Amino acid sequence: MAHPSQLGFQDAASPLMEELLHFHDHALMIVILISTMVLYIILAMVTAKLTDKLVLDSQEIEIIWTVLPAIILILIALPSLRISYLMDEINDPHLTIKAMGHQWYWSYEYTDYEDLGFDSYMTPTQDLTPGQFRLLEADHRMVTPVESPIRVLISAEDVLHSWAIPALGVKVDAVPGRLNQTTFIISRPGVFFGQCSEICGANHSFMPIVVEAVPLQHFENWSSLMIEEA
Amino acid sequence: MLATVGKQLRSHPALIPLFIFIGGGVVMSMSYLARLAIRNPDVCWDRKNNPEPWNKLGPTDQYKFYAVGIDYKKLKKEGPDF
Repeated sequence: MAHPSQLGFQDAASPLMEELLHFHDHALMIVILISTMVLYIILAMVTAKLTDKLVLDSQEIEIIWTVLPAIILILIALPSLRISYLMDEINDPHLTIKAMGHQWYWSYEYTDYEDLGFDSYMTPTQDLTPGQFRLLEADHRMVTPVESPIRVLISAEDVLHSWAIPALGVKVDAVPGRLNQTTFIISRPGVFFGQCSEICGANHSFMPIVVEAVPLQHFENWSSLMIEEA
Repeated sequence: MLATVGKQLRSHPALIPLFIFIGGGVVMSMSYLARLAIRNPDVCWDRKNNPEPWNKLGPTDQYKFYAVGIDYKKLKKEGPDF
Protein backbone atom coordinates (compact mmCIF):
# COMPACT_ATOMS: atom_id res chain seq x y z
CA MET A 1 0.00 0.00 0.00
CA ALA A 2 1.06 3.63 -0.23
CA HIS A 3 2.89 5.37 2.60
CA PRO A 4 1.38 8.58 3.96
CA SER A 5 2.10 11.52 1.63
CA GLN A 6 3.71 9.19 -0.92
CA LEU A 7 4.17 10.85 -4.30
CA GLY A 8 5.77 8.14 -6.41
CA PHE A 9 4.71 4.65 -7.42
CA GLN A 10 4.45 1.79 -4.96
CA ASP A 11 7.26 -0.78 -5.02
CA ALA A 12 6.75 -3.19 -7.89
CA ALA A 13 5.52 -6.66 -7.03
CA SER A 14 5.32 -7.99 -10.57
CA PRO A 15 7.80 -7.99 -13.47
CA LEU A 16 5.47 -5.86 -15.56
CA MET A 17 5.28 -3.16 -12.91
CA GLU A 18 9.09 -3.14 -12.73
CA GLU A 19 9.20 -2.46 -16.47
CA LEU A 20 6.64 0.31 -16.07
CA LEU A 21 8.71 1.88 -13.28
CA HIS A 22 11.88 1.84 -15.41
CA PHE A 23 10.05 3.36 -18.35
CA HIS A 24 8.58 6.03 -16.12
CA ASP A 25 12.07 6.86 -14.82
CA HIS A 26 13.35 7.10 -18.40
CA ALA A 27 10.54 9.36 -19.60
CA LEU A 28 10.62 11.51 -16.48
CA MET A 29 14.39 11.99 -16.79
CA ILE A 30 13.92 13.26 -20.35
CA VAL A 31 11.15 15.60 -19.19
CA ILE A 32 13.26 16.95 -16.33
CA LEU A 33 16.26 17.54 -18.61
CA ILE A 34 14.17 19.41 -21.17
CA SER A 35 12.38 21.48 -18.55
CA THR A 36 15.63 22.41 -16.82
CA MET A 37 17.14 23.48 -20.13
CA VAL A 38 14.10 25.61 -20.97
CA LEU A 39 14.09 27.20 -17.53
CA TYR A 40 17.77 28.03 -17.85
CA ILE A 41 17.25 29.59 -21.28
CA ILE A 42 14.35 31.69 -20.01
CA LEU A 43 16.37 32.97 -17.06
CA ALA A 44 19.41 33.66 -19.26
CA MET A 45 17.36 35.66 -21.73
CA VAL A 46 15.51 37.60 -19.08
CA THR A 47 18.64 38.59 -17.17
CA ALA A 48 20.84 39.42 -20.19
CA LYS A 49 21.68 43.09 -20.62
CA LEU A 50 22.66 42.96 -24.32
CA THR A 51 20.38 42.21 -27.27
CA ASP A 52 21.46 41.20 -30.78
CA LYS A 53 19.05 42.87 -33.21
CA LEU A 54 20.77 41.61 -36.36
CA VAL A 55 20.29 37.83 -36.17
CA LEU A 56 17.24 37.04 -38.25
CA ASP A 57 17.55 33.35 -39.10
CA SER A 58 19.97 30.48 -38.98
CA GLN A 59 19.67 27.28 -40.95
CA GLU A 60 21.93 25.22 -38.68
CA ILE A 61 20.05 25.79 -35.45
CA GLU A 62 16.73 25.21 -37.18
CA ILE A 63 17.94 21.81 -38.33
CA ILE A 64 19.19 20.95 -34.85
CA TRP A 65 15.99 21.84 -33.08
CA THR A 66 13.94 19.83 -35.52
CA VAL A 67 16.08 16.71 -35.55
CA LEU A 68 16.87 16.52 -31.84
CA PRO A 69 13.23 16.52 -30.60
CA ALA A 70 12.36 13.92 -33.23
CA ILE A 71 15.16 11.68 -31.96
CA ILE A 72 14.04 12.22 -28.35
CA LEU A 73 10.48 11.28 -29.25
CA ILE A 74 11.65 8.10 -30.94
CA LEU A 75 13.70 7.25 -27.84
CA ILE A 76 10.54 7.58 -25.76
CA ALA A 77 8.26 5.79 -28.20
CA LEU A 78 10.30 2.61 -28.66
CA PRO A 79 10.37 1.47 -25.00
CA SER A 80 6.76 2.56 -24.65
CA LEU A 81 5.60 0.36 -27.52
CA ARG A 82 7.70 -2.52 -26.24
CA ILE A 83 5.99 -2.42 -22.85
CA SER A 84 2.61 -2.04 -24.49
CA TYR A 85 3.10 -5.23 -26.49
CA LEU A 86 4.61 -6.96 -23.45
CA MET A 87 1.41 -6.31 -21.51
CA ASP A 88 -0.67 -8.14 -24.11
CA GLU A 89 1.39 -11.31 -24.12
CA ILE A 90 -0.17 -14.69 -23.42
CA ASN A 91 1.94 -16.39 -20.81
CA ASP A 92 0.21 -19.72 -20.14
CA PRO A 93 -1.47 -19.06 -16.78
CA HIS A 94 -1.45 -21.70 -14.06
CA LEU A 95 -4.66 -20.45 -12.45
CA THR A 96 -7.74 -18.56 -13.58
CA ILE A 97 -9.71 -16.42 -11.15
CA LYS A 98 -12.90 -14.54 -11.91
CA ALA A 99 -13.33 -11.18 -10.21
CA MET A 100 -16.86 -9.80 -10.43
CA GLY A 101 -17.68 -6.25 -9.37
CA HIS A 102 -20.89 -5.55 -7.52
CA GLN A 103 -22.25 -2.53 -5.75
CA TRP A 104 -20.28 -2.36 -3.46
CA TYR A 105 -18.02 -5.40 -3.10
CA TRP A 106 -15.96 -7.79 -5.18
CA SER A 107 -16.61 -11.50 -5.52
CA TYR A 108 -13.94 -14.00 -6.52
CA GLU A 109 -14.49 -17.39 -8.11
CA TYR A 110 -11.81 -20.07 -8.36
CA THR A 111 -13.47 -22.64 -10.57
CA ASP A 112 -10.52 -24.46 -12.16
CA TYR A 113 -10.66 -27.57 -10.04
CA GLU A 114 -13.51 -27.20 -7.53
CA ASP A 115 -16.25 -24.63 -7.08
CA LEU A 116 -14.85 -21.98 -4.78
CA GLY A 117 -16.45 -18.56 -4.59
CA PHE A 118 -16.67 -15.85 -1.95
CA ASP A 119 -17.43 -12.18 -1.53
CA SER A 120 -14.95 -9.59 -0.38
CA TYR A 121 -16.42 -6.67 1.56
CA MET A 122 -14.43 -3.80 3.02
CA THR A 123 -13.68 -4.10 6.73
CA PRO A 124 -15.64 -1.21 8.34
CA THR A 125 -13.46 1.28 10.18
CA GLN A 126 -14.92 0.47 13.59
CA ASP A 127 -14.06 -3.24 13.12
CA LEU A 128 -10.39 -2.72 12.32
CA THR A 129 -7.84 -4.38 14.58
CA PRO A 130 -4.63 -2.46 15.45
CA GLY A 131 -2.19 -2.56 12.53
CA GLN A 132 -4.84 -2.85 9.83
CA PHE A 133 -5.26 -0.20 7.14
CA ARG A 134 -8.36 1.98 7.06
CA LEU A 135 -10.52 1.71 3.93
CA LEU A 136 -8.12 -0.84 2.42
CA GLU A 137 -8.70 -4.07 4.33
CA ALA A 138 -11.31 -6.59 3.25
CA ASP A 139 -12.85 -9.53 5.06
CA HIS A 140 -11.78 -12.14 2.47
CA ARG A 141 -8.57 -11.68 0.51
CA MET A 142 -7.96 -12.99 -2.96
CA VAL A 143 -5.21 -15.49 -2.23
CA THR A 144 -2.87 -16.44 -5.08
CA PRO A 145 0.27 -18.56 -5.40
CA VAL A 146 3.45 -16.53 -5.72
CA GLU A 147 5.60 -16.60 -8.90
CA SER A 148 2.87 -18.28 -10.97
CA PRO A 149 1.24 -16.67 -13.99
CA ILE A 150 -2.34 -15.94 -13.01
CA ARG A 151 -5.17 -15.01 -15.31
CA VAL A 152 -7.94 -12.84 -13.87
CA LEU A 153 -11.21 -12.50 -15.77
CA ILE A 154 -12.98 -9.36 -14.73
CA SER A 155 -16.58 -8.39 -15.18
CA ALA A 156 -19.37 -6.65 -13.31
CA GLU A 157 -22.84 -7.61 -12.23
CA ASP A 158 -24.47 -4.19 -12.18
CA VAL A 159 -22.58 -1.00 -13.06
CA LEU A 160 -19.06 -0.19 -14.20
CA HIS A 161 -16.26 -0.92 -11.75
CA SER A 162 -12.52 -1.25 -12.22
CA TRP A 163 -10.17 -3.81 -10.65
CA ALA A 164 -6.90 -2.11 -9.90
CA ILE A 165 -3.78 -3.00 -7.89
CA PRO A 166 -1.01 -0.39 -8.25
CA ALA A 167 1.78 -2.61 -6.92
CA LEU A 168 1.16 -5.15 -9.67
CA GLY A 169 0.58 -2.59 -12.41
CA VAL A 170 -2.95 -3.86 -13.02
CA LYS A 171 -6.03 -1.81 -13.76
CA VAL A 172 -8.83 -3.43 -15.74
CA ASP A 173 -12.36 -2.12 -16.16
CA ALA A 174 -15.23 -4.32 -15.00
CA VAL A 175 -17.95 -3.83 -17.58
CA PRO A 176 -21.32 -5.55 -17.17
CA GLY A 177 -21.92 -7.96 -20.01
CA ARG A 178 -18.25 -8.06 -20.99
CA LEU A 179 -15.34 -10.21 -19.90
CA ASN A 180 -11.94 -8.55 -19.66
CA GLN A 181 -8.77 -10.55 -19.13
CA THR A 182 -5.49 -9.69 -17.50
CA THR A 183 -2.51 -11.86 -16.60
CA PHE A 184 0.22 -11.14 -14.12
CA ILE A 185 2.94 -12.84 -12.09
CA ILE A 186 3.47 -11.80 -8.47
CA SER A 187 7.22 -11.82 -7.79
CA ARG A 188 7.21 -11.89 -3.99
CA PRO A 189 4.88 -13.02 -1.20
CA GLY A 190 2.91 -10.24 0.42
CA VAL A 191 -0.39 -8.43 0.67
CA PHE A 192 -1.22 -5.95 -2.08
CA PHE A 193 -4.05 -3.47 -1.91
CA GLY A 194 -6.05 -1.69 -4.54
CA GLN A 195 -9.27 0.26 -4.77
CA CYS A 196 -12.19 0.29 -7.18
CA SER A 197 -11.20 2.66 -9.99
CA GLU A 198 -14.44 3.46 -11.76
CA ILE A 199 -17.19 5.51 -10.15
CA CYS A 200 -19.98 3.17 -9.23
CA GLY A 201 -22.23 4.86 -6.71
CA ALA A 202 -22.31 5.79 -3.08
CA ASN A 203 -19.69 3.35 -1.79
CA HIS A 204 -17.29 3.49 -4.73
CA SER A 205 -14.45 4.46 -2.38
CA PHE A 206 -15.30 1.62 0.00
CA MET A 207 -14.82 -1.51 -2.06
CA PRO A 208 -11.13 -2.32 -1.90
CA ILE A 209 -9.28 -5.21 -3.51
CA VAL A 210 -6.81 -7.21 -1.43
CA VAL A 211 -4.52 -9.78 -3.04
CA GLU A 212 -2.44 -12.03 -0.82
CA ALA A 213 0.41 -13.88 -2.53
CA VAL A 214 1.57 -17.01 -0.69
CA PRO A 215 3.73 -20.03 -1.50
CA LEU A 216 1.94 -22.74 -3.43
CA GLN A 217 1.57 -25.09 -0.45
CA HIS A 218 -0.11 -22.37 1.59
CA PHE A 219 -2.39 -21.61 -1.34
CA GLU A 220 -3.46 -25.25 -1.58
CA ASN A 221 -4.12 -25.39 2.18
CA TRP A 222 -6.13 -22.18 2.00
CA SER A 223 -8.26 -23.34 -0.90
CA SER A 224 -9.02 -26.69 0.78
CA LEU A 225 -10.04 -24.82 3.91
CA MET A 226 -12.26 -22.41 1.98
CA ILE A 227 -13.98 -25.25 0.13
CA GLU A 228 -14.69 -27.08 3.41
CA GLU A 229 -16.10 -23.96 5.01
CA ALA A 230 -18.55 -23.35 2.21
CA MET B 1 2.38 23.14 -56.21
CA LEU B 2 5.26 20.80 -55.62
CA ALA B 3 7.48 23.06 -57.73
CA THR B 4 6.64 26.02 -55.48
CA VAL B 5 7.38 24.00 -52.35
CA GLY B 6 10.65 22.77 -53.88
CA LYS B 7 11.71 26.33 -54.73
CA GLN B 8 10.96 27.56 -51.24
CA LEU B 9 12.81 24.64 -49.73
CA ARG B 10 15.92 25.45 -51.70
CA SER B 11 16.09 28.90 -50.13
CA HIS B 12 15.32 27.53 -46.63
CA PRO B 13 17.15 24.20 -46.45
CA ALA B 14 16.61 24.02 -42.68
CA LEU B 15 13.07 22.88 -43.37
CA ILE B 16 14.17 19.67 -45.04
CA PRO B 17 14.46 17.65 -41.79
CA LEU B 18 10.94 18.80 -40.94
CA PHE B 19 9.63 17.35 -44.16
CA ILE B 20 11.57 14.14 -43.56
CA PHE B 21 10.24 13.58 -40.03
CA ILE B 22 6.66 14.66 -40.67
CA GLY B 23 6.60 12.75 -43.95
CA GLY B 24 8.04 9.69 -42.23
CA GLY B 25 5.43 9.96 -39.48
CA VAL B 26 2.62 10.19 -42.02
CA VAL B 27 3.93 7.20 -43.97
CA MET B 28 4.34 5.09 -40.84
CA SER B 29 0.92 5.88 -39.41
CA MET B 30 -0.90 5.41 -42.72
CA SER B 31 0.84 2.11 -43.37
CA TYR B 32 -0.02 0.87 -39.86
CA LEU B 33 -3.63 1.90 -40.44
CA ALA B 34 -3.64 0.03 -43.74
CA ARG B 35 -2.12 -3.03 -42.03
CA LEU B 36 -4.84 -2.93 -39.41
CA ALA B 37 -7.55 -2.59 -42.04
CA ILE B 38 -6.28 -5.49 -44.13
CA ARG B 39 -4.67 -7.91 -41.69
CA ASN B 40 -6.46 -7.43 -38.37
CA PRO B 41 -8.77 -10.36 -37.64
CA ASP B 42 -11.25 -8.05 -35.91
CA VAL B 43 -12.07 -6.36 -39.23
CA CYS B 44 -14.73 -7.82 -41.56
CA TRP B 45 -14.80 -6.62 -45.17
CA ASP B 46 -16.72 -9.41 -46.87
CA ARG B 47 -19.89 -10.29 -45.04
CA LYS B 48 -20.87 -13.03 -47.43
CA ASN B 49 -17.67 -15.04 -47.90
CA ASN B 50 -15.70 -14.28 -44.75
CA PRO B 51 -18.18 -13.06 -42.14
CA GLU B 52 -16.27 -13.58 -38.88
CA PRO B 53 -12.51 -13.74 -39.46
CA TRP B 54 -11.81 -13.68 -35.72
CA ASN B 55 -13.08 -17.23 -35.46
CA LYS B 56 -10.37 -18.50 -37.79
CA LEU B 57 -7.28 -17.85 -35.67
CA GLY B 58 -4.95 -20.73 -34.86
CA PRO B 59 -2.66 -20.88 -31.81
CA THR B 60 0.46 -20.15 -33.86
CA ASP B 61 -0.93 -17.07 -35.65
CA GLN B 62 0.74 -13.83 -34.78
CA TYR B 63 -1.62 -11.01 -35.60
CA LYS B 64 0.06 -8.36 -33.48
CA PHE B 65 2.78 -6.26 -34.94
CA TYR B 66 5.59 -7.05 -32.55
CA ALA B 67 6.18 -10.13 -30.41
CA VAL B 68 8.34 -9.24 -27.42
CA GLY B 69 8.73 -12.50 -25.58
CA ILE B 70 6.65 -15.25 -27.15
CA ASP B 71 7.75 -17.55 -29.88
CA TYR B 72 4.46 -18.11 -31.62
CA LYS B 73 5.62 -21.28 -33.35
CA LYS B 74 5.85 -23.03 -30.00
CA LEU B 75 2.30 -22.39 -28.80
CA LYS B 76 -0.22 -25.20 -28.79
CA LYS B 77 -3.98 -25.19 -28.83
CA GLU B 78 -5.43 -25.67 -25.36
CA GLY B 79 -9.14 -26.12 -25.90
CA PRO B 80 -11.06 -28.93 -27.61
CA ASP B 81 -11.45 -29.13 -31.39
CA PHE B 82 -14.96 -28.49 -32.61
